[in-house]
Amino acid sequence: MTATPILEMRGIDKSFGPVQVLRQVDFTANAGEVTALVGDNGAGKSTLVKCVGGIYPIDSGDYLFDGKPVTVHSPRDASSLGVEIVYQDLALCENLDIVQNMFLGRERTRGIVLDEPTMEKMASETLDRLSVRTVKSIRQLVASLSGGQRQTVAIAKAVLWNSKVVILDEPTAALGVAQTAQVLELVRQLADNGLAVVLISHNMNDVFAVADQIACLYLGRMAAQVKATDVTYSQVVELITAGRSGDLGLQAAAVAAAGNGNGSHDAGVTDLGDMNGAQ
Amino acid sequence: MRAGPSQEEIRRQNLGALLRQVHVHGAVSRAELTNALGLNRSTIGALTADLAAAGLVREELPKETGRAGRPSLVVRAESERIFVYALLIGVDRLVAARIGLGGEILDRRERQRGRGEFVASDVITPLAEFVNEMHRKAPEESTCVGTGVAVAGIVRREDGLVRLGPMIGWVNEPLGTALHEVLAMDAPTYVGNDADLGALAEHIRGAGTDSDNIIYLSGDVGIGGGIIAGGRPVAGHGGYGGEVGHMVVNPNGKPCICGARGCWMTEVGEHALLAAADRQGIGREGILAVVDAANRGDALAQAAVRDVGDWLGFGVANLVNIFNPETVIFGGTLRDLYLAGAAQVRSRLNRNGLPACREHVRLRTPGLGDDSSLIGAAELAFQRLLADPLDVGAPATQPAESTV
Repeated sequence: MTATPILEMRGIDKSFGPVQVLRQVDFTANAGEVTALVGDNGAGKSTLVKCVGGIYPIDSGDYLFDGKPVTVHSPRDASSLGVEIVYQDLALCENLDIVQNMFLGRERTRGIVLDEPTMEKMASETLDRLSVRTVKSIRQLVASLSGGQRQTVAIAKAVLWNSKVVILDEPTAALGVAQTAQVLELVRQLADNGLAVVLISHNMNDVFAVADQIACLYLGRMAAQVKATDVTYSQVVELITAGRSGDLGLQAAAVAAAGNGNGSHDAGVTDLGDMNGAQ
Repeated sequence: MRAGPSQEEIRRQNLGALLRQVHVHGAVSRAELTNALGLNRSTIGALTADLAAAGLVREELPKETGRAGRPSLVVRAESERIFVYALLIGVDRLVAARIGLGGEILDRRERQRGRGEFVASDVITPLAEFVNEMHRKAPEESTCVGTGVAVAGIVRREDGLVRLGPMIGWVNEPLGTALHEVLAMDAPTYVGNDADLGALAEHIRGAGTDSDNIIYLSGDVGIGGGIIAGGRPVAGHGGYGGEVGHMVVNPNGKPCICGARGCWMTEVGEHALLAAADRQGIGREGILAVVDAANRGDALAQAAVRDVGDWLGFGVANLVNIFNPETVIFGGTLRDLYLAGAAQVRSRLNRNGLPACREHVRLRTPGLGDDSSLIGAAELAFQRLLADPLDVGAPATQPAESTV
């Protein structure tokens, strides 16, 4: 825990026109750990992740990678650092097979032709390393895969490039029970293999099943980033919905400020019912 | 004072350590062995030669190292030549596998069976058939060095007597002796509790390889526990320990088949979940159906998953306070229960576990999937070979007296 976090965001501010979406957000992710990023709709999870991924430039604050300050202007900068994001829509091409998808846009070549044997070998080695047993052939078209298998391919694609940080946006949202279990085990496996994994999820069971740390955003502020061994389900729900829980989280003044400052968001009612239903 | 170990004893010890290294970590170069065992190069060379002469390992040139200099030879287990049979007697399935040195599953047979009580011969006959089938297909020059059996019951270590198998209706069933007679092999037969063997396998090859304090929980109808503390299995005086399913968590709870009330398994087992959700069903499908209903918004199913998750957390918190494990592994159907109710399990653990005991505990699902106990049975059968490789590994020169 004392080791330098592989990814550290300090005091991040981000506005879109008059709307300030992130205020002084601190966020860290350690290698070998799953850090869950939770928050209500509009709390700023996606914006924060897009700042990390280089899609949005940050207005102010520090982006530290492996302890060193870096500047990230584009997704290409982020991926050259070793940060990969798997979005909810997965961005896979149905008409291509697994290997083609994993190397899409970054194909290996030998001379002027594609180096199919090497790509095939790398793809199957990556799937093996993740203990993926559900995919029969790596030459299957993605169109023929189930939702869980597609998620697996998208995740394998992200870790193929010696990535150090993998960010997963709601990886289990569209999956059935059995496939959710497989994807959760895969998420855990990634971290146990030494990667820093950031998991965005609305499902508290998924979060508690795999996370080592839980970062709770509340109306654009980081309410708290806590160890999963220290908090209970209801504390996390309070952090998400009220920004504080006992000693944890934002203090009263900050909560009020966050509520007033974020004009675009109706701060009054948060969807507690949905959080309960999520399990 | 006893004199120090003789040179011969040290050599046997080192042979065992080297073979174990190759068995557990797969193909290893001589250079890596030198580092791992802390022996010098020539000793490693001599030990490897002895093991190779006994037909336990072979040496190969590595494919490509990409580095300059003469490559170190790679030592590989003779998986095809040296193998064991691993058998699993579960509540609703029978599995038999031929597993090579190094842990590779060479062949396997599986049969589902109905729930309920049965006599021992009902499983011994089909298992013996499986083994005979696989034996006929095994290469001629290969050697079976033992048979390991995992069974959901309380097992006497010395002779494989099943003292009690509540879910299968066994009392004092001499499983080990009976199987050994039917299989008619020179190699010995060992029987172990399925959860103990699951813990062993996960420690060697699964989710617990980097921790020495592990609790493996196996769930089917009941709940079993395998405990490894300080790198060693904790089984108690007669080998009967680890019956965590009969830890009383709710003295006013439901009656348990053991005669007590409110045992852990009555609160978190499959029956508890299905009863709370008011559903029919069996095994993993039954559990997944409830979890699925909960995800789709069925209030009764949600409450059932929450309650069972909470009770699961109570028991885990007790175990964490007593054993301070680094890793708790949820096997069998507990895997699905844990993943579905993790928020409750964790919350209860964080509330009831002492901070010092729980701060580094990792909750995991098995790295070996549903095969933990089966692979554990194989590891049990390999133990004698790994303790004294030359005594067991060369049956041609060491005739019948090598059987226990």
